[in-house]
This record gives sequence, structure tokens and C-alpha cells, in this order.
Amino acid sequence: MTDRRRINGPPGETIPPFFDDADRAPETAKGRFRPSNAIRKMFLKTGVTPSASGSAYLEISTSAKPGASGLKLSCSVHGPRSLPRSAPFSPHLVLTTHVKYAPFATRQRRGYLRDSSERDLSVHLETALRGAIIADRWPKSGVDIIVSILEGDQERETSRSQGDEVWEMMNALSGCITVAAAALADAGIDCVDTVAGGVAALVQDTDGDESQPSIVLDPVPSEHAKILAACCVAYLPTRDEVTNLWFRGDVPASDMELYNSLVEKGIQASRNANRVLVGCLTESVGEGDTS
Amino acid sequence: MTSTATPPRLAIPGQPLGPASRYRPGPGTHLHNGHLYASLLGHVRITAPARAPGPVKRLTKITPAPAPAELPTVSVLPPSSSASSAASPSGQEGAGAEQKQRRREVLPEVGNVVLCRVLRITPRQAVVTILVCGETVLEAEWQGVIRVQDVRATEKDRVKIYESFRPGDIVRAEVISLGDQANYYLSTAKNELGVVLATSETGNTMQPVSWKEMRDPVTGVSEWRKVAQPQPQ
Repeated sequence: MTDRRRINGPPGETIPPFFDDADRAPETAKGRFRPSNAIRKMFLKTGVTPSASGSAYLEISTSAKPGASGLKLSCSVHGPRSLPRSAPFSPHLVLTTHVKYAPFATRQRRGYLRDSSERDLSVHLETALRGAIIADRWPKSGVDIIVSILEGDQERETSRSQGDEVWEMMNALSGCITVAAAALADAGIDCVDTVAGGVAALVQDTDGDESQPSIVLDPVPSEHAKILAACCVAYLPTRDEVTNLWFRGDVPASDMELYNSLVEKGIQASRNANRVLVGCLTESVGEGDTS
Repeated sequence: MTSTATPPRLAIPGQPLGPASRYRPGPGTHLHNGHLYASLLGHVRITAPARAPGPVKRLTKITPAPAPAELPTVSVLPPSSSASSAASPSGQEGAGAEQKQRRREVLPEVGNVVLCRVLRITPRQAVVTILVCGETVLEAEWQGVIRVQDVRATEKDRVKIYESFRPGDIVRAEVISLGDQANYYLSTAKNELGVVLATSETGNTMQPVSWKEMRDPVTGVSEWRKVAQPQPQ
């Protein structure tokens, strides 16, 4: 569906001119500069939107390369508020999630209306949060969770990164889950646990079939030659439960070990993200004491 | 070993607070596999049981194992409410605490006393909007209904809604049910419940005269209301 009510930007790519400098060109070294079991640095802060009942902002740092952007997410939670009159009686909290890429967040300009991939992310996010919320504490009410992706974790150079969108979506989803959990805690909505997202991927670092694929946490598509499979996990650390699992890729069906270890690594990534989340929440409560 | 472990001062959702055999779950906590966990972000507060287990009076009576009411209650208070209570003596945290204070949302529950404004009346019910629940001003708009049989406790068959409420009145009522999809069901069938603030047809604030009558002090005209018994402050 096209949006005819607004003046839209150009539908094509809007990248600043990239000059083929002689000294810049060799700086295309692919590669991961952090250990395979480490996730990127993360910044998380709650209470950024004053008008919302709860809000949080998440930023995942860029890799060392200048051309690549990081992930920037802002989440606001509105409610609990009364359901619309047309809604049927609900004895528990009705959760509504919206995930939207800002029009300028990705290489390919996004429209103002949510497209199918954004709706897909919303559904995944809702599943992940539904397992964490104690919904029957809030009868007859609804809560809206709105995540805006301000920067979509994509590399600026387009030529080599075609077809990476799926993997980038997984990274975005894991960020969405973490930031939404922080915003929910900030809003004071009862949760069983702090849910956090994590991604693990099976990657091949050099082109060619002979190299052995390895499993890394928090994969950045531009750092690897090829991503064979990836798995995004929403995990409750205290309960030791997985609330949402998104697995995608091309893995031999017979190799159950590989599936298990990918999920295991995804959980490990989510534990790492959870540590940031716990630190951020503790800090936000501690503030009220001292200041 | 476990008896020495005390709950932490701050809690984040999912943090273990202790076994259910030692504490009773309060607000902001939940019970899972016999252990208490926090479900909100905030400060942990342990309140002693309301009635201390005193000496047993009737020794002949076989008393059951210590009732759960005798355990201290552990609850998690969101930073807003605990910060404001901590800030009131010092008074330096005013703006920040106040800003955070309004963010905590509560829901009307069965048994709560609420203040509401009458929106419209029909012969069978008065439709109200709930403004205050307990001590908290609500942020969201919640609609409620006072049905004709819930207006007062006696002579229910002679109640007329238009002799009890008028649109614009402020009514103190009690929540009796979560109701249907749109409305909470409220009742004013107690002496201390009913209209607390009403304006006459000429627009002056009226004074209560009896339990069913209010009078305009300017014009002297009286109107029918289901008046709430004035409460000492």
C-alpha cells in the first residue's frame, strides 16, 4: 500500500556520495574485532520520554569501521489504560506492540506505514513479552508498546551487503526485546522476569567451502563473509525459560547438535544483554535514593 | 544458612526475595515454585504482621500451624511511591519525585472506594467516570455504572435515579464488580457513600440537608440527591 497523503522522500537509496579514494579503498578489511563469545557494547537508559508511562533507549555501538552504523532504538510504553469501548471484556492485560523503522533508519528508505517485515517484528516482540508479563494483574486494560528503530544497524556501502536484511532484522529484534523489557520495568507493569534478546549465528569467515563454519554471538553481517544460519532468542534468566525463538538459515536437518548449540549460544548472548539491562534498571532505582 | 539471607534492598523483576515459608507475597511480588520473586522494579519493603502473634489464650484449643497471616509481608514499591515518602521530610527532591509520582498507574479493584463524576443518567442507571481511586488520581479514563438497585440499601424498589444523581455530581462510591467490557459496577448503598458535591439548577454549589436532600444556599431551592454522610477529616 502506498502512502499518498504525505510528500514522501525518494523511494531509492539516499546515501551520501562515496568517493573511491585511493587511500580509503584498502580499508575494507572484513573481520570481527571482538571475541566470538562477546556481544557489542550496549548503552541502555530508561525514562527518556516524559509523556509515556515508561520508556527506554538502547544504543548498540558500531563496529570499529567508519562506514557502518549501529543500532539505535527508542521504546515507549503507554498505559495501562482502558480498552476501547468496542473491545470485548478481557480479564487480563491486552498487549499491543508496534515496531517501526524510521524512514531514514535503513539504506532503503522506509515508508511511513508499517510494512510486512515490521509487522513480523511486532508479532515476534509481542510473543517474547507475553511470556514475561503477569497479565492478570491488570484486568480490563491495555498497554501499547511502541518501538522506533532510529538507526537500523546497516552498513553504508550497498554493493556487498545485498541480502543481509534478514540477519539485520534478527539483530533489531533482539534489541527491541531488551529495550521493551526495560521500558516495561520503567512503566511499573508486573513482569515475571527481565526478558532480554540475544542472537547467535553460524558464520563462514572466508569465501569458499573449505573453511569451517563457526558460531558467533551478536553477528554483524558486514563482518563475515557469509551467514549460514542465525537464531534470535528471548530468554528469562531467572526462570531459565525461552519465550520466543526465531531460527532461520540453511543447516543440515540431521545435525541436532548444531541446532542446540546455536540456541545455547543465543541464550548466552541474551544473558550478556541481560546484564546490561539489570545494571541499567538498578541504576535507575538507585538514582532516586541518592539525588 | 537460608535463614540468614535477607532480601535485597532494591529489586528488579525476577529477583528472588526468599522462600514462601518465610514471607507472604505483597504487592509487586509473585510466587513461583514456593519462592517469592519481585515482579516490579523498586525498593523492597518488609512489613511486620499486623497482629503480632501474642500469647495463646485458649490452651485447650488445638491451634493449627502458624497461619500465613503471621508471616511478614514482603512487597516491592515502585521508585515513585517510595521516593515521595522518603522525600517528604527532606523536601529537596520535590520536583523529581513529583514528576515520577504521577507515572504509577493503579486500577480500580473490587472493594475500593472511588470518587467519580456522573456523566449521564437513564431510568435504570447512572453512567459515571471514575476520577480518583482510593488516594490516587487516575490517569486513564475508566467508566462506571451505578445501577438503580445499587443506589441505596433500603427501599430499593422506590429508588429513582433522577432523585439520586444528576449529571455533573461528584459521587463517592464503592466498586462492587469489574463489570462488563466497558463499565465498572459501582454501588452507593452505604451511609458514607453518595453525592459529595452537587450544583443546583441555577449553578450554585448545594449543601446537604438530609440523607436525600440538598439545598441551594442562594435561592433556597432544595433538590433530591442520595447524599453521602459527611466524613470527619
